[in-house]
Amino acid sequence: MTRINLSRRSVLLAGAGAAAALRAPAVLGQAKAKSKYAGTTIRGAGFSMPFPQYLKNYFPEFEAATGIKVEFDIQAFPVYNQRMDLELSTGGSAYDVAVLTFIYQDRWIGAGWVSPLDEFIKDPNATPPDWDPGDFVAQTSMRDAKGQTCGFGIEAGAVLFWAARADLLDKAGLELPATFDDIVKVCEAVNGKDGVAAWVQDNIHHWNWPPYLMGFGGTVFKDPPENLTPTLDTPQAIEAAQFYADLLRKYAPPAVLSYTQDQALEAQLKGRGNLRSSSATWALPLAKSPDSTVKHTVRYGVFPTGPKGWFPGNAMTGICIPAGSRQKGAAWEFIKWALSKEMLSRIVKDHGYPSVCRRSVIQSEPFKQAMTLNGQDVAALYLKTLERAGEAGYMRYRTAAVFPQVGDKINRAIEAIATQQMSASTAMKQAQLQAIQAVRLGGYKVDL
Amino acid sequence: MSLVLRFAAPRAAAAASQARQRRRFLTWCLAPSLAVLFVITLAPMVYLVVVSFTPLNLTNPATAWRFDQPLLNYRLLLSDERFLNSLWVQAKLSFWTVGLQLAIGVGFALLLNLRSGLLRALRTVFLVPMVLPPIVVAIIWKVLYTPDISPVYWTFKALGLSLPALITDPNWALPAIIAADTWEWFPLTMLMVLAALQTVPEELADAARVDGANSWQTTAHVLLPYIRGTLMVAGLFRLIDSIKAFPLIYLLTDGGPGSVTEVTNYYAFEQAFNFSYLGFSSAITVVLVAATLLLSWVVVHMTGWGAAE
Repeated sequence: MTRINLSRRSVLLAGAGAAAALRAPAVLGQAKAKSKYAGTTIRGAGFSMPFPQYLKNYFPEFEAATGIKVEFDIQAFPVYNQRMDLELSTGGSAYDVAVLTFIYQDRWIGAGWVSPLDEFIKDPNATPPDWDPGDFVAQTSMRDAKGQTCGFGIEAGAVLFWAARADLLDKAGLELPATFDDIVKVCEAVNGKDGVAAWVQDNIHHWNWPPYLMGFGGTVFKDPPENLTPTLDTPQAIEAAQFYADLLRKYAPPAVLSYTQDQALEAQLKGRGNLRSSSATWALPLAKSPDSTVKHTVRYGVFPTGPKGWFPGNAMTGICIPAGSRQKGAAWEFIKWALSKEMLSRIVKDHGYPSVCRRSVIQSEPFKQAMTLNGQDVAALYLKTLERAGEAGYMRYRTAAVFPQVGDKINRAIEAIATQQMSASTAMKQAQLQAIQAVRLGGYKVDL
Repeated sequence: MSLVLRFAAPRAAAAASQARQRRRFLTWCLAPSLAVLFVITLAPMVYLVVVSFTPLNLTNPATAWRFDQPLLNYRLLLSDERFLNSLWVQAKLSFWTVGLQLAIGVGFALLLNLRSGLLRALRTVFLVPMVLPPIVVAIIWKVLYTPDISPVYWTFKALGLSLPALITDPNWALPAIIAADTWEWFPLTMLMVLAALQTVPEELADAARVDGANSWQTTAHVLLPYIRGTLMVAGLFRLIDSIKAFPLIYLLTDGGPGSVTEVTNYYAFEQAFNFSYLGFSSAITVVLVAATLLLSWVVVHMTGWGAAE
């Protein structure tokens, strides 16, 4: 279960510490490593997300400080997951560091495919006390059954809601939607205005849709992680699927169903799509990217509330050392460097990275400054969302070992509804049957 | 008579013994090649069949040798609507791609077989799609099919026309894959047919013309029957390749929207590589291999290919 314990008071208390960390040299604590691992080459891999892209800019510093050469592949999300899943399952040694995709955490950690990091964390020679592993938020999903830490978070994906062209909402006399009903009202009012589609979304529906599902009172599984019986054919699930598919069908640009996260971002950067709900990571470039045409019209809010409550999505993507790695020591040096307070603070400062997982950095004043966009305190929205997900524990479905399989059925069903191949009821009943089969094939009991 | 028999019997026995020794010698000579052939081709197939009787799941290595419900995967397949749909999608994809590639390939081959310097120069150009890496072909078509960046869509828009989003429209997604696959592979059939056409003796066509046949009749009654064997081989190659269709589907539609373009091969890939259900995926693959063999056999026998002329 993902638990995040943050309070606004602690934001202020920790601010000074993190601000000081910003000034600290980036290579702190690396001097010993240079003599031990110099000449080693480590290979890493991840999917296309901002953190590894930003981090790459600092690799020369790490290499100069430690003598460890880093080769890091970045692939598209589905390609990376398939390749890494295969690589880890065969105990391959091709990679020494890997991004721990949120939907694969339980599967990869549970199967023993990634190395426990405790031997490094607990060894003062390998990890200085001020590195502070306890400073990471939502670490629960990164632990194995024995409670050993198998990874550290690099991206806390808190779902926000935003309008790239809020000026169109203003012209229509409407606010950023606060409820699901408001979303429809706003879409009806602004769709096609100024040539802008009211809605845009990427095609990872198994990430985007569950907050709507839960908002309508539905769930993905009966009671994860103990009871993984799928519940995709309930009236609530059918209603949520119809609602979400209608947004895609009625208000989104043509071919939206083929949009990757990058394409959805691009559509907003170029002002072709207006409203979107997704991780904060995809929201901030609209205000910060030099390519953005909507810098002055973007407006951010929290995810809207459904008829049955407020369930903004939250997921922690991490970094780990594959069990088959032959350079675990050097890999740990890399992780230690990449996730040090100093490095994360620099990435926040230099790139405005919004999805940091270190509490002390999240609570720092520089983070708040970096997240103040168009005069809006996006840091506060981010914290509010993280706190909500941490308290309520409704994100447990996402780390179930069979979620990737069930997520695939959700994706197919949403596409079938959005393209009117099937009614929501038929598509979700079919998804339920297929999900049951997938859960059973995974070796889990289904309680029907 | 008995004298003849007395000498003939040992001679026959000696001949039989010699034949046996010869067979044994040849068997030993072939043995290394057969062993290599077995290890390289048959052993993986045998393993595939064995795995299809297990619930092998990579996250649980203990499932590798569990045979308590050997037919479970096959039973699941029978009631798996997505699998059954994938067979139907596969049939449609194969029918259209093979048919179109043969028709277009033959058409272009007949044109290129004409005595023209320009057409000879164009031969190489027509081969380009076939020699491009499949991933490049997929990227080209992805660009063409994506409304935001496609010059085709821009052109239509400039003309005041609108095109549906081909790869996300359930009515157009499969035709879009068929078009891209046909573009990529019609040069192969064209090349094979062109090579065959160049072996047709000129006297045959000349004789037909002397008998009063026009160009269409000469083509239909002389050239095409003459190259029937080549057409059969080309069709069979393309049929088998169409069953292996992957990069275009993976990059253009991911099997969607919904499962509109999800062929059996792609479904097996998803089960194995996205979800690690190797046992289930192996069962799908076994069915696919069996269907391919059966289909090839039916095609070969229906058309009488390989029979004595």
